[in-house]
Amino acid sequence: MIAPGIKRGTAELAVLSVLEDGPLHGYEMARRIEQQTEGSLRFTLASLYPLLYRLEKRGWVRGAWETSRTGRRRRCYRLTSEGKKKLSPIRKEWAELFRALKRLTKVSHA
Amino acid sequence: MRDWGAVVEQRLAGLVMEPEERTEVIAELAAHLEDICEEMLRQGMKEEEAVRRTLSRAGDWRDLQRKILAAKRREQPMKKRVWQLWIPGFLTLILSTFFLMTLQQYGLQPHIVRSGSNTVLLYPPWLAALPFFGALGAYVSSRASGSRRTAIFVSVFPTIALTGAFLFMFPFSLTIQLIMGRPVDFSRVATVLLKDGISWILVPGAALLGGGLLAHLLLSTRSSSRDTAIG
Repeated sequence: MIAPGIKRGTAELAVLSVLEDGPLHGYEMARRIEQQTEGSLRFTLASLYPLLYRLEKRGWVRGAWETSRTGRRRRCYRLTSEGKKKLSPIRKEWAELFRALKRLTKVSHA
Repeated sequence: MRDWGAVVEQRLAGLVMEPEERTEVIAELAAHLEDICEEMLRQGMKEEEAVRRTLSRAGDWRDLQRKILAAKRREQPMKKRVWQLWIPGFLTLILSTFFLMTLQQYGLQPHIVRSGSNTVLLYPPWLAALPFFGALGAYVSSRASGSRRTAIFVSVFPTIALTGAFLFMFPFSLTIQLIMGRPVDFSRVATVLLKDGISWILVPGAALLGGGLLAHLLLSTRSSSRDTAIG
């Protein structure tokens, strides 16, 4: 299991990455992240929504109410062009960090 | 079926924000909980158990409320401007002015640079100290998350203030002299403007800017290496 402190740092990347494939509402976003990380990253309301609101305030995602075919209203978030621009350097930073940690801890030889 | 809107409303009673925004947040969180609960019911869980588990998946409600309020809080542009611009700007201005006054108090004489019949007065120890004051202003502004442009503006703030004073004082004194019927020698005024501009604006401005740019460069290098290392 990944420690909460590390999870917090990766949450932004996780959210932006799943939104890259298309607009999603909060529940679907959390479900996809959980599935794609095989349960390693699991969002609660307190970890997901404040993050979405911050990203929205920065202009990286935009939320809008949409009505599904079943008549349910859900607030869907989509990545803005600004968010798309930010995703690439964030990915690079994390990749660099992982490479550095791998070198430091020699994880691959453990 | 449980009214998730009422559940969220009750748990987030202290969520003080604009009514419309609050309604939206509550509706969004309620929809999320409803989706979790329905998923569990689809998997064959009993309703009571599904509700209990859904609530446990919500996390700490107090923490949620605090984080939502922090995320939605409007930044106060005025307060931000005060810390990023005005305080460091006036700090640079006050320090550079008082330092010069102190040097003059201790008998510092200006270095006179002659060019033909024109002379420019320079205070080398003061000019040598100006990069530090410029750097300090840029540092304080950057610490308050000021942009690069703001930090640079802050570092040269004393010369901008002085330019403003010049631009106001010269036309003002010329107008007074014209009103009083005294002849105005415009070529002399132009020479004085140029001399004072070099002594008090151009040279000190370059010294302040040098310090400000250096401080900003050092800070941005440090912060980018810190970002990469810690995330």
